[in-house]
Amino acid sequence: MNIFLRELKANRKALIIWSVCMFLLVLSGMSKYTAYSSSGQNNALFNSMPHSLKALLGFGSFDVTTMSGYFAMLFLYIELTVAIHAVLLGAGIVAKEERDKTTEFLIVKPLSRTAVITAKLFAALVEVFVLNIVTLVSSIFMVDAYNKGADISGEIVRFMVSMFIVQLIFLSLGAALAAFIKNPKASGSLSAGVLLASFVVSKITDLTDRLNMLNLLSPFKYFSYKDLVEGGGLSAGIIIPAILLVAVLSALTYFFYRKRDLNV
Amino acid sequence: MSAIEFKKLTKSYGKSRGIIDVNFKVEEGDIFGFIGPNGAGKSTAIRTLLGLIHPTSGSATIFGKSCIEHPQVKKDVGYLPSEVFYYDHMRVIDLLNYSASFYKKDCKKRIRELAEIMDLDLKKKIDDLSFGNRKKVGIVQGLLHDPKLIILDEPTSGLDPLMQQKFFELIRDENKKGATIFFSSHILGEVQRMCNRVALIKEGRIIKLEKMSDLRENNYKRIRIETPAAIDRSFFEMPGVSKLELKDHMVNFLFRGDINTVIRKISQTNIANLLIEEPDLEEIFLHYYEKEGETV
Amino acid sequence: MNMYLHELKSMRRSTLIWICAMIALAAIYFSVYRGIVSDAAGFKRLLGGYPEPVRAALGISVDSITSLLGFYSMIFSFITLCAAIQAMNLGTSVLSKEVRERTADFLLVKPVSRSAVVSAKLLAAFTMIMATDVIYYLAVSLMASMVKTSDYSGRIFFLINLTLFFIQLIFLAIGVAVSVFFAKLKSVIPVSLGVVFGLYMIGAIIAAGKDNAAARFISPFKYFDMTYIIKHTGYEPSYLIAGAGIVIAAIAISYIIYVKKDIHAVN
Repeated sequence: MNIFLRELKANRKALIIWSVCMFLLVLSGMSKYTAYSSSGQNNALFNSMPHSLKALLGFGSFDVTTMSGYFAMLFLYIELTVAIHAVLLGAGIVAKEERDKTTEFLIVKPLSRTAVITAKLFAALVEVFVLNIVTLVSSIFMVDAYNKGADISGEIVRFMVSMFIVQLIFLSLGAALAAFIKNPKASGSLSAGVLLASFVVSKITDLTDRLNMLNLLSPFKYFSYKDLVEGGGLSAGIIIPAILLVAVLSALTYFFYRKRDLNV
Repeated sequence: MSAIEFKKLTKSYGKSRGIIDVNFKVEEGDIFGFIGPNGAGKSTAIRTLLGLIHPTSGSATIFGKSCIEHPQVKKDVGYLPSEVFYYDHMRVIDLLNYSASFYKKDCKKRIRELAEIMDLDLKKKIDDLSFGNRKKVGIVQGLLHDPKLIILDEPTSGLDPLMQQKFFELIRDENKKGATIFFSSHILGEVQRMCNRVALIKEGRIIKLEKMSDLRENNYKRIRIETPAAIDRSFFEMPGVSKLELKDHMVNFLFRGDINTVIRKISQTNIANLLIEEPDLEEIFLHYYEKEGETV
Repeated sequence: MNMYLHELKSMRRSTLIWICAMIALAAIYFSVYRGIVSDAAGFKRLLGGYPEPVRAALGISVDSITSLLGFYSMIFSFITLCAAIQAMNLGTSVLSKEVRERTADFLLVKPVSRSAVVSAKLLAAFTMIMATDVIYYLAVSLMASMVKTSDYSGRIFFLINLTLFFIQLIFLAIGVAVSVFFAKLKSVIPVSLGVVFGLYMIGAIIAAGKDNAAARFISPFKYFDMTYIIKHTGYEPSYLIAGAGIVIAAIAISYIIYVKKDIHAVN
């Protein structure tokens, strides 16, 4: 419990900064909505355009003139932001004792490494959850302020649920990487590299249908946001494997951390 | 010209204390000890001297020049920090060569000599070295360019006694060759063994600056007497006696003043054994600290 | 010179990784280019059934984005993103690592001035960026000539790629300034990712659309408008000046602060 509280306290300032940034992101994103909504497009023609051309023209697969389509587009950036937060948090929380040379202090205390990791992961979980809630509340609030059409709060909630799972994936990924690689200083760069790669993969697969296999590498693509916009729910066929992935990555974190030679 | 000169040096960190009005000189060829407890300001003074931190007021100069304005003066300086950290992924020899590359002279021979004396494996990766061995790298690194001024910040921590011995010999040799040594420590024994002059620092201020010989003599003697029968405490209560302790048949005190008076006093009583010795620095040091503490 | 070489050596590996990553990314994009060209051909046939104004408006943009330069300038923003992260990382770490890895006590007691230290390090970082951009340019030139379906202007292609260098310079300078400003950087990644992605999103969200000349100044990612470059075979002077201003100011600040900075003992 003391480690849990200590971690929460150590990351409090960072979490506040992230939350403020998130709020600003949602705010600034929504404030541009009017510009999009008024532009109007020839929808029939637009829809018949090949997937790749739409992506190249910068529209993605959403109809940004509607609120839910616009929010889905904005959501990609929101999701990217929380993913950066989660992956760095996961890597940092595991690696920082060694990076800051406090390993000896912690590890001679009468508790198992498993207990240390559990406390740290729970602290990270709480933080990720807080950021998610902040996003949810600011989104609902800001969307409501600009929305002239149908209420989309239900969709926003579903978006956030999917986002939470993506956060968990990146969090456990960062933690597992940090527990696995030897050099504690490199864990941040490596997990950031993985994140950047999965972001870029998601952008590449936007462009063409031929590389859809690559989507497996990018948690940004696990959920079909197009379905969400069109009012579909979250598919259990995706949630369950995603949760399993989180479980596997967390288990790997424990496994590697227990076997690890801690640098002093 | 003095090798080191502190002139009214003050460094403050916001509200917390750094060092205040530090004023002293170290002459060329000296071995100078700088002692004080942890947190007294030793490192702050040294780091200001080296230009790592900037003085709030006053100055610290090396051979008459400030390291900040004249970085070239540092070519004659060798520095061993209290904790040594070096670039990862480098072998010892790579680091030493990199260090040597800053001093436009050939240091290859000296590196080999020093490494041999300190028993240091040049081929190892720095990441794989123990704390003590890193310290050795630090020593070689600080001496490889034959500096005229050697600054040591708590140099012996992490070295085993044998290595400490070798290290002090090395430092003495450098001193004989003409190098000035400036040496901070909280271990008084090593300062006592090495230094000609000392400065005592406490809570950021220099409280005493003296020749080692003066400091030790200063007419202080540690006197131990064994008596056949118990003796009354009041017998030894006389001017110049301090830290009087009586235990069973043992009497123990520090004496300062004309030695004859105390000898006469002792001769008035029957004693079984008498020991008069130089007090070690620690005793004097604590004595100073306590005395200062009283006046504050 | 010794410091410069030492820095080059320490940056070598990560630079190599970044170069490979950027070239690989470009290669993946180029590999789908031919497919997109044929998609577009099909779509243009479909356009035939629409009224003339629609055809004119969309036809032109379809033509322009599926030309090699148009396509490249679209995907280029992701390359720029990677390059910016590389440069920002380089910038934030190059000066601060001595303090973070506690080697400042080694370097700064050597007989060199602080500004010489800064110069050597900046020059090394600059060299790495140059190397990245030159190698990248050679690689994409080769790829472009392999996948092209019709000829394109080599000059414009060069101008587009040159912006990579400008963007990297800007982020390098920002990174250096940030690192001297925040004395206690425990880890550079969160800061550099935060700044780069932050500006990237500002670029994508706030500075997108029309009537945004002022907003574009906020995000260096928006300083070089590809459409403008392709059309005019040149850059917009005002943003070029803004970029140069940022670089000069950031580097000047870095020198000033670093020279005056206190390097505290490890603890």
